[in-house]
Formats: sequence, C-alpha cells, structure tokens
Amino acid sequence: MALRFSKLAFSVLAILFLVAPLIAILPLAFTSSVILTYPIPSWSMRWFTELFTADAWRRAIVNSLIIGTGTTLLATVLGTAASLGLRNRLVFFRGTFRTLFLLPMVVPAVVLGVGMQVLLARFGLTNSYAGVIIAHTVVAVPFVVVSVTGALAGIDERVELAAESLGAPPATVFRRVTLPLALPGVLSGAVLAFATSLDEVVLTLFVAGPNQRTLARQMFSSIRENISPAIAAAAFLFIAATIAIGLIVVLSRSVLAKRRAPVH
Amino acid sequence: MSARASRTGRSLFLLAPLLLFLAGFFVWPLFSMMSQAVSDTAVLRLLPQSAEVLAGWDRKSPPTPEMQTALIADLKAVEDTQALGDMVRRLNSARSGFRTLMSKTTSALSDEADPPADLVSIDKRWERPEFWLAIADALSPLTDRNLLAAVDLGRNADGEIEHLPADQSVNRVILVRTFWISALVTFACIAIGYPYAIIAASLSGWKRDVMLAAVLLPLWTSLLVRTAAWFILLQEQGLINDVLQMLGLTSGPVQLIFNRTGVVIAMTHVLLPFMVLPIYSVLITIPKNLMPAAASLGAHPLRAFLRVLLPLSLRGVAAGSLLVFISAIGYYITPALIGGPGDQMISSIIAFYAIGSANWGMAGALGVVLLAATLVLYSVYARLSADEPGRR
Amino acid sequence: MRRRRSFLLPGGEKVAEGRMRGPALCPTARAREPLLAEFIRFDRITKFYGPLCVVENLDLGIGKGEFVSLLGPSGSGKTTLLMMLAGFEQPTSGTILVDGQAVNDVPTHKRDMGVVFQSYALFPHMTVGENIAFPLEMRGLGKAEIADRVTRALDMVQLSAMRERRPAQLSGGQQQRVALARALVFEPRVVLMDEPLGALDKQLREQMQLDIRDLHRRLGLTIVFVTHDQSEALTMSDRVAVFNKGKIEQIGTPRQVYDEPATRFVAEFIGETNLIEGVVARISGGEAAVRLASGAEIVSAVSGGVAEGATVYLSVRPERIELAEARNAAHNCLETEVTDSVYQGDHLRVELAAGSHPLIAKLGRRSREFEPGTKVFAAFSAGDCRVIAPPDGQRQAAAS
Ligand SMILES: Nc1ncnc2c1ncn2[C@@H]1O[C@H](COP(=O)(O)OP(=O)(O)OP(=O)(O)O)[C@@H](O)[C@H]1O
Ligand SMILES: [Mg+2]
Repeated sequence: MALRFSKLAFSVLAILFLVAPLIAILPLAFTSSVILTYPIPSWSMRWFTELFTADAWRRAIVNSLIIGTGTTLLATVLGTAASLGLRNRLVFFRGTFRTLFLLPMVVPAVVLGVGMQVLLARFGLTNSYAGVIIAHTVVAVPFVVVSVTGALAGIDERVELAAESLGAPPATVFRRVTLPLALPGVLSGAVLAFATSLDEVVLTLFVAGPNQRTLARQMFSSIRENISPAIAAAAFLFIAATIAIGLIVVLSRSVLAKRRAPVH
Repeated sequence: MSARASRTGRSLFLLAPLLLFLAGFFVWPLFSMMSQAVSDTAVLRLLPQSAEVLAGWDRKSPPTPEMQTALIADLKAVEDTQALGDMVRRLNSARSGFRTLMSKTTSALSDEADPPADLVSIDKRWERPEFWLAIADALSPLTDRNLLAAVDLGRNADGEIEHLPADQSVNRVILVRTFWISALVTFACIAIGYPYAIIAASLSGWKRDVMLAAVLLPLWTSLLVRTAAWFILLQEQGLINDVLQMLGLTSGPVQLIFNRTGVVIAMTHVLLPFMVLPIYSVLITIPKNLMPAAASLGAHPLRAFLRVLLPLSLRGVAAGSLLVFISAIGYYITPALIGGPGDQMISSIIAFYAIGSANWGMAGALGVVLLAATLVLYSVYARLSADEPGRR
Repeated sequence: MRRRRSFLLPGGEKVAEGRMRGPALCPTARAREPLLAEFIRFDRITKFYGPLCVVENLDLGIGKGEFVSLLGPSGSGKTTLLMMLAGFEQPTSGTILVDGQAVNDVPTHKRDMGVVFQSYALFPHMTVGENIAFPLEMRGLGKAEIADRVTRALDMVQLSAMRERRPAQLSGGQQQRVALARALVFEPRVVLMDEPLGALDKQLREQMQLDIRDLHRRLGLTIVFVTHDQSEALTMSDRVAVFNKGKIEQIGTPRQVYDEPATRFVAEFIGETNLIEGVVARISGGEAAVRLASGAEIVSAVSGGVAEGATVYLSVRPERIELAEARNAAHNCLETEVTDSVYQGDHLRVELAAGSHPLIAKLGRRSREFEPGTKVFAAFSAGDCRVIAPPDGQRQAAAS
C-alpha cells in the first residue's frame, strides 16, 4: 500500500516536473504587463501583436520560415536518397556511411559551429541564407536518415520482389511500392528536419549575420538581453506547433502500423 | 551479375550527394577547426623575410649579417602594433629578457637620424643564438601551444612541457566543471528517470500513455522554449519562489537562477527524456512475468529487483547515462542563459574565444578536446547499443 | 463440368480447353507418367553464396502443366532454386531454360512467372482489388478488362466481398488467397510457390491444399511448389523432388519416393522407417538376400546399383510390419521382443528389439495389445522391403 502510494506520488511529481514548466509559461503570453510574473494583472494580446509587428520579431519569423523550408527540402532530398542507397547490402562501408550520417547529431554544436564559421568564411558564405541553410542541413540530415531508414527497414523486401515478378520494372517498383511505403518516414523526417532548423541556435550564432536572425536566435538574445512577454508569446506558438506536429507524427505512425499489422 | 553491379552503382549514386555534402560541410569544417588549433602564423606573418633566412640557419652558430638585415627589414615594416605586442609577449615567455630587448631595438630602429648598422650594435644580446632560437621556433607554422594551453600546459624555455602558472590555469577548472555539472545532471536524470521508466513499463493502457506523453512533449518542444520557461520559473519573482514563500518554506526569495542549482535543474529537465526512453525501451522487452516468477520463487521484492530487473535493465541505464552525459558536456544554451559566470561550461568558453575574442587557435584547441571526449564516449555508446540482443 | 470453367481467361473456354489438353484431362494417369513436353529445365545449376555452395550441379526438368514439389529440410536450397527460376537470384553457373529459351539474362519483370511467397508479400498500401489489378496494369491492359479479370479472380478465390479491404484487414488464409489470385490473374507461364501454406493452421492448410490442387487441374497450370512438409508434397504433387544439401536425392511420383526410396536420406526424411544394416548375399531376379549381423537372412526387392558382398541398408516401413506368434514361411520373419507399446488413436505403435537392433511397427487400431517382454515375430513381405545402396564412399569401403 505504502509502496503503491509512493509510486503514485513519484509519478505525479515527475510528470509535474516534466510538463509544468511548459504549461506555466503559456498564460504569460496573454499578460498585459511588461514583466513575466504571476499574478497576471489583466489579459491582452499585445505581445502577439508585438511578435508580428515589431520589426525584429517579424523579420526573425520570416527568416525562420525561409531557412526552415530550405533546410527541410535539402535535408529531405539528401537524406532520403542516402537512406535508399544504404539499403543495398552490397555497398561497401555501409556501416561506416551510416555512422557518418548520424555523427552530426553527436558532435557538439559549438564545435561544429567553430569549424563551420572558419570554412564558410573561406567560401564567403557567412552572413548568407545559403550558409545558414547548409549549416542547419548538416544537423537536420541525421533525423531524416534515421526516420527514412526506419521506414525502409519496415518494408518487407519480398513485397518489392513480388511487384517485380508481377511485371513491374525497377523504376515502377520504386514509384508504386517502395516510395508509398516509405512516405510516412519521409514525411516525419521532413517534419523533424524543419523542427531542428526552427530550434537551432548555436550554429546560427556562428554562421548567420544580422540579416539571417532566426526566431530561435532572436529568442536567445531576447532572454539574454531584455526578456519580455514576447518570449512567452513565441513560446506559446512553439508549443502549439509542437503539439500539432506531434499529432501529425503520431497519426502517420499509426497509419503505418495499421497498414503493416497483419490480422491473423 | 551485371544486374547486381548496376544495383550497386545505383546505390552509390544515391549515397554520393549526402556523402559529398557531409564531406564538404561536416568533415571539412571539423578538420579546419582542428587545423586552426595547431596552426600558428601570427609571427610568420610579421616576419616573412626572417623566416626565409632563418630556414637556412643551423640553430647553433651566432647570427649572420643576413639574418640581422632581414629582421631589421621585417621589424621596420611592421605596422600592426598590437600584433607586434602579441609577438613580443610570446617571445618573452619563451626567452625572458626579450621584452626589454625588443623595445630597445624598435626604438633604436625608429631613430631616423642615426640608423643602426646591425642589431648587435644596438644590443649585445643579439649575438647570442638563444634569442634567435626563440624567433625561429615562433616562426614555425605548426604549434602545439594551443592544444597544451587547452589543458593548462605550456612549454618552458627548454621546450619541456610543464603546468602553466596558476593565474593562467583557467581551462582545467572549466573542464573539471563541465564534467562535474554533466555528472550531476546525469545522476539527477538516473534518480528520476530510472524509477520513472520502471513505473511506466509496469503500467498499461492510458496510464502508460500519459507517462510517455509527459516525456515526449518536452522532448519535442523547442529547447529555447524550455529554457525560457525555466528562466521565468526560477527568477526571483518566479513561480517557484512564490510557491516556496506561500508554503512558508522560506521567508525571502531564494536565488535559483544564474547559479549552479538553476543550471542543473534546467539541464535535468531538458535531458531527462534521453534517460527515460532508452531504459524504457529495454524494460518493455523484459517479460512481464519475471518479477512475479522471482516472487513465487521466494524472493523479496527488493531482492527480486536487485537480482532480476536491475541486471536486465542495466544496459538501458548505461545507454541513457552515456547519452545524457554526451549531450551535457556539449551544452551551450542552457548554461549560457540560466547559469552565472561560475557555471559556464566548455562550450561557452569555446564560443567566447571564437565569437568574443576571435582567438581561433584557442577555440579550435578546446573544440578538439571536447570533440575527442564526445567521440570516445559515443563509440562506447555505439558499442553498447550495437550488441543489443534481438535487434537486427 | 468443373474442369470446363475458366475463371481467368476472357471468353476462356476455348483457350482453357487448349491448355488442358494433355495431362490436365486425366490427372490420375498423369501421376504415373514422367514428363510430357518439357517446359522448364535446370541445366547443371550451381549457386554459391560467398564460399557456401547452396545448390550443386543440379539438373531438373519440369513438364508443361506439371505440379512439382521441392521437398527438403531447412537450408537445403529449395528457396534458392525457386529464386533463381523467378530471376531474383543469378546462378553462379549453369543455365535455366524456359520453353527452350535460356532465361538467365531475362530480368524478373519480363519472366512472366507468378510467385506466391510464404509471407504473401501483398502490397500493404493497396486494397485487395488494387493488389490483384497490379500485374494487369503492368501489362498495359484496359481499365474495363482489368476490372473484369479482377472480378473473376476474386470469384475464383471466393473473396469478392473483400475487394476494397486492405491486406491488414484480412485473415491469414484470406491474404493467402489474395496472393494466389494475384499470382494467377495474369496467366503466368509458371506459378512458383514458396511454402505458401506455412503460416496457416492445420485445417486451413488442408483446405488450401485441396483448393490449389483443384486450380491446378482446372487451369492446367505448371506449378513449382516448395515445402518442407512431406505430407503436403505427397498429397499435392505429380512429382516430388527430394532435396538435401543443394542436391536432388530422388525425384519421382509420391508413390515412388515413399515406397521406393533411393537413398537412406529419402527413406528417413519421408515418413518413418526401420533401417537394418546387412550384407548382400545373393541377387537374383529383382530380389536380394541380405544377411544381417544376427545371421538372419532377409529377402528384399532391389533395383540396380547393388553388388553381392556390399554392405547395405534395408528399409521397412513400420506399417508394413505384422506381428505374428509363429514363423510365417511366405514372409521375412525376425525374432523380436516387445519393449514398449503405445496406443495412438489411429494406430498402435509397438517398439521391438530384434537382438540388439530396435524396430518399430505400426499396427491397425484393432490389433491386440502387446505386453513388454512378449516374444513375437516381425513379418513382412519381400515387396515391402527395399535395399538401399550405401553412399559411394561407404560402398567402396564395403567392397575392399
Ligand atoms: N542471400 C543469402 N546470402 C547468403 N547465404 C544465403 C542467402 N540466402 C540463403 N542463403 C543460405 O543458403 C542456404 C539455402 O537456403 P534456402 O533459403 O535456399 O534454404 P531452404 O531450402 O529454402 O530452407 P527453408 O526450408 O528453411 O526455407 C542456407 O544455408 C542459407 O543460409
Ligand atoms: Mg525457404
């Protein structure tokens, strides 16, 4: 009995620790005050207005969208192609390639940032959108590779062999069978790539100029320099987007699972 | 056979773009960072003519007239006084007395009215090879100075490696602090995450879903949002202080932010999912009837845990701990925003050298240290998760 | 009447009749006969995976309209052979001929062979109807004709109601029938099946065995069927090829491989058998007298390849043995003692010891019980007993 109670208490406290900070920040987005404290004097939308009208924030949002889109496209194309290439067991160094593709996830962002700044300066790509997109793609690509190889590993190879035996040439097998089956993986990889780009601060700090300030970068300096409830408004948008994206990922996974699960 | 070859060709064709991309924008940057760490052209840039002449010197005999003329020409051509100052400081640390020698020499050289014939006529010390030796060493484009300095080592006048004096020994403190904070965070994550994973794995249905969702939601939420949330909660008028005072636990506000406590709390929150998920994924593969089986064989629950669940789940704990520790040692944002000056970790110092003071050599050297630590730990992690039984 | 219905071919009867000329018209007669027009030939096929030799110098011919089973233990190379026929794998050496044409270099999608996999390999993202339409689309048929043929194929496997469902919403047996319909709908030259019934429960499996055999007869299909279930192979096939370690040990009608096993492996792999070692004393007129270690002499049917003085095995099926109180002059008789007897529902299984040699007999369920220790005679006729030549190496050893 005592054990069960302490288990329950522990679980509740731990869940509170995990989730409460995220919930606590939400109401502050609607405060009318300029300071981020409870109790909230009165409700207002002024900080959302600020977010979308103040020059710095608006530019940051636009930049995030531009860079996020570019990163998503580049990372998804590169990552999907590479994952398809990794399927072939005949390729030498398959394991080495796989490790290399995942390594950007492991290397500390600051280390990569230093190297990236040195290198991009050499190419004259610092302070350019291209430079930021490239940097973000490096760290976003592992997520695409993980997601797509996972989806591809779930495809029964015999399904593709069957398609071939039924008269489909290789290109048709890819278009009609492999791609549709891998699509949920590609999509969730793309979503993760976008989310990575949206949240990336450290590399942005190193390679972006003032014209490529992203939303995350703007939030970083706003927390550092002059924190205002605009942060809470931005956080509100982020959390709402997270929940939406989470739902998309969960749904696409369950669609995938439903297709696979054989009923016996 | 040809079909097989063409299939391999197609795979390589698909792999090539990402391979080239990462070679160019991932591997190459890391290498250029490393080469920054060991390259040192500051002196070489200032003294190009001396470099040419000194290359032919035997490092023992007294200076030739050519060496002296070359150095005079180089010193006369220097315009960047700050770079000159840096060079003199370096030469002085290699050979004491260089500072006075140099200031005497440069002032003599700037005397337009009575230009000195050679260096020896300015100061007798220019006759001694030791001083030229120091210049010759400083001219080398490769140096281990930065790498040694990254761990608070340096070379003395005889070229032997020794500890830097205490006033210059900041890096080791920061390295130790980085590992210490990471260890604290890892420990906190085990303390919360391990029981959490055990409870979640023992549940089913919506209860399990809630516990997993509580882990996944923060994982998917922007790191900045989470850091901002803690910033707001931990501040002096923040919710946590409000609650503490309301409960009468403290009379005044407690300092929670800009110190170690805040950093550890926020980093634990950020990294906790990386502990829970690996442990959970190991635990759910353990058959549910093992603990009842142990109990039926007469084992007390604690004993059953120690003898059955703990050994079986240890791999998950190890994997989670490594994952958390690896992530923690490279952390930048959370310490930068929540920590005080005494809580800055190695990443912050790297960023300071790189962005704040454009000291690429030191930034690169510390980067090499951090990268090496990360890769070693990661290879352990990869081995640990590779020989997971039943996978692949 | 059943035989005349064609479910697959548009306006089918004429074509169907044409296809069914020959063996399909008289399946019982066919079983005894060897190949008619040879349709598929494996010509000295060898397959290596790295250093591992999986199929070794294999020759096999399959007639048009024939149902051949490849039977053998796990890892004996059956799947590999099938995969080479379908074009998924390339033989290391040798030629595969279909209809007189070498197909080694023909890619899978042009081979025109229907393949049914053990796991069915249905397209999970397509409905049942789309799955079956797939091969027809690949052949560029018109919409109306595709719809028509899919309908008929679904009728054939009795799944018309499931047309719009996804494979995941079907039971194992239903998925299996979709896979079958998909492999048959485009009227392939050959249908290859790799343990298609392995995942089904016993009852469903027996039902599907009958269904497939029925389809085979109705449509005159050429079928290569892989299984490691010997009773499945015996019930369904015209001929059975018994595989062992990448080689065919014996190929023949079900009756031949069961009653006249050519090798010890075949005798033991198909059904249960008693193997008794002995030395050939005399050979005359298709019968051999074999002397056992105990000194007893047994007369057995024999085919070529055995010389007098050779050490051989005798194979006697347990159900061919009768137990008698007294010696029977017309039969081979061995003096034995009962060691155990177990009632197994449809038969009585009696374990015997003939000297030091164990024997097993299966008696009809009306037979009386035997107490352990009872002395009886195990009797069997010369025709129920086969002489199996030892493998080459042993034969030489025996001769010297
Ligand atoms: N792609 C492959 N690479 C290497 N070895 C293989 C490959 N495919 C099969 N083998 C090996 O070839 C041998 C024969 O395999 P095959 O699948 O033909 O056996 P099988 O007779 O179908 O067995 P089962 O009844 O278990 O399906 C096995 O030893 C197997 O390990
Ligand atoms: Mg097989």
